[in-house]
Amino acid sequence: MTTSMNRVLSSGAAVEPEVSRKARPRIRPGALTIHATMILLAFIAIFPVYWMVVSSLKAENEIFSTGLWPSAPSLDNYGFVLSQIPMLRMLANTTVVAGVTAALHVLTGLFAAYALVRWRFRFSGFVYGLIALSWLVPFQVTMIPNYVLASRLGLLDTLAGLIVPHAAAAFAVLMLYHAMKSFPTEIIEAARMDGAKHWRILWEIITPNLRASLASLGILAFISAWNEYFWPLLLSRSIENSVVQIGLQMFMTQEGNLWGPLMAASTLASLPILAIYLLLQRQVIESFMKSGLR
Amino acid sequence: MASIRISSLHKVYGKTPAVRGVDLSIGTGEFVVILGPSGCGKSTLLRMIAGLEDITSGVVAIDDVIVNDLEPGDRGCAMVFQNYALYPHMSVSENIGYSLKVAGVARAERDEKIRRVATLLGLDTFLDRRPAQLSGGQRQRVAMGRAMIRSPRVFLFDEPLSNLDAKLRLQMRLEIKRLHRELGSTSIFVTHDQLEAMTLADRLVVMNGGKIEQVGTPQEIYRRPASLFVADFLGSPPMNFIPAVIDDEGKAVCADGLRPCPDLIWDLEPGAEVRIGVRPGDLQIVGRSARGALPFEVEMVEDLGTENHLHGTTTGLRMTAVLATGEAVPDHPFAVLIPESAVHLFRERDGARIDPRSVSRIH
Repeated sequence: MTTSMNRVLSSGAAVEPEVSRKARPRIRPGALTIHATMILLAFIAIFPVYWMVVSSLKAENEIFSTGLWPSAPSLDNYGFVLSQIPMLRMLANTTVVAGVTAALHVLTGLFAAYALVRWRFRFSGFVYGLIALSWLVPFQVTMIPNYVLASRLGLLDTLAGLIVPHAAAAFAVLMLYHAMKSFPTEIIEAARMDGAKHWRILWEIITPNLRASLASLGILAFISAWNEYFWPLLLSRSIENSVVQIGLQMFMTQEGNLWGPLMAASTLASLPILAIYLLLQRQVIESFMKSGLR
Repeated sequence: MASIRISSLHKVYGKTPAVRGVDLSIGTGEFVVILGPSGCGKSTLLRMIAGLEDITSGVVAIDDVIVNDLEPGDRGCAMVFQNYALYPHMSVSENIGYSLKVAGVARAERDEKIRRVATLLGLDTFLDRRPAQLSGGQRQRVAMGRAMIRSPRVFLFDEPLSNLDAKLRLQMRLEIKRLHRELGSTSIFVTHDQLEAMTLADRLVVMNGGKIEQVGTPQEIYRRPASLFVADFLGSPPMNFIPAVIDDEGKAVCADGLRPCPDLIWDLEPGAEVRIGVRPGDLQIVGRSARGALPFEVEMVEDLGTENHLHGTTTGLRMTAVLATGEAVPDHPFAVLIPESAVHLFRERDGARIDPRSVSRIH
């Protein structure tokens, strides 16, 4: 008994240091380099955002100081912004424009992708090719025809004018085309056997199963529409019908830039996007990964 | 329940024919199994009946009404797919009841029918689960329930058991047979598994290269295959074949002068190349001196529990004989004999079955 006890104890004692040595995480030099690089890159990405927020809290005489925190933080710049331009109205306009544009991207993308994938018609490959090609056409090429069209349709200086030309996007069609193409045909055929026609199949069978792709597309389209600057610049006439990106420009004058208010306005403009990011962090990253964008 | 008539049905993909002139009539309440190797056109044929595939030419009629241009949902057919094809975002009860929802059936009536079908299939405790939370067998049952709930005129099964393990496959096979007996609905079942085909079919349709090779009861097809393809395809272990030539007397002579069936005469031109076929289970073990005996060299014995498979060679050709486990494998040189009643002969040129002159002696 004692001998066996000793054997157990001695074997335990022999094993224990081995286990504890294994349990201790070992840091490899390669991993250390990767982590250091990632930390540096994260710092480079985050620091401008931090600097924007901090600068928005600084007084005018302190704006060019290199201090990491203002000596007397204040919200004066925010008050100034809200008194100088209809910032809340512009934020609301931008939310409407970005939200409706994103919804329309998803809707038109769904319809086009369904037709291209599910309906067999002559030249469908050619149509798909044309859509893919149109993605490569730069905005500057379509800018003037779009402007003329918007002008003739009476859409100048309206929110509809900011939305309608961007209601459909080749990127949305291509992204949903591939998602729909990989959707199991048998499930659609089962729905056809159950008596469902195209409309039901699209809304009741395919769409619920493409939620991840649709969410990705919606988020990307919303961010892209939110950040749109050039088209609103061309189309907007009055500040009331303008979007927040145009509002930011108000603080860049010929006499010099009003850095404090500009940073405060930029912070306000970034808040919805930051909120989306914080709420839907996983989906946002997924959507960027899926779309191949970084 | 409905009858189905298929006439001169063709399907061509681009320039590749998939189904080539199929004619078939299926009676009300019949269970027909379409059997054939991969790519023989059996699934395409089923899908054309279902309406999931356009018909290049020909006619599909259900209860004498041509349904060529009807949508799949309007043909009164229900289909069970190979991969179940359940709606992943819906619960079991929503999956089963979807066709009724589409048809606009009131919720209370729908729920009642769903419960009845689920009870019949033993799914009543899984109604709130999603397909991903079910085992393969349960998913298969849901697919069956989805097909049953509409009380369709025709059940179509597209290799529904091929994703199940052997035990579950047997269980589901029996269940399908039981349901067919209870519901009495016309059913078409596509498979490449001959065991499924033999056990389920009232009538078997063997397809090859887009054409029907033979139609008959499983026993008819097994006992009297109409072509070399059917003879080779059906049966496990497969039929043994011995190349031979017809001599001046109309008898079959093997390459080395042996006559495996010395008393049978075929009405074929002298010199015609043929193949003598015999099922492994029909071979008789005899001494080497017996008349018509073919010397057999055993290479390997497989013990399957109920029977032994003797794999070996006869006159240089591979051959398999089957012995019941109780029968001892001879420990001395022996031969195999083909009983006259077990001889199948096929013309090499076109693979057609040719019966001997005295056909009455075959059965």
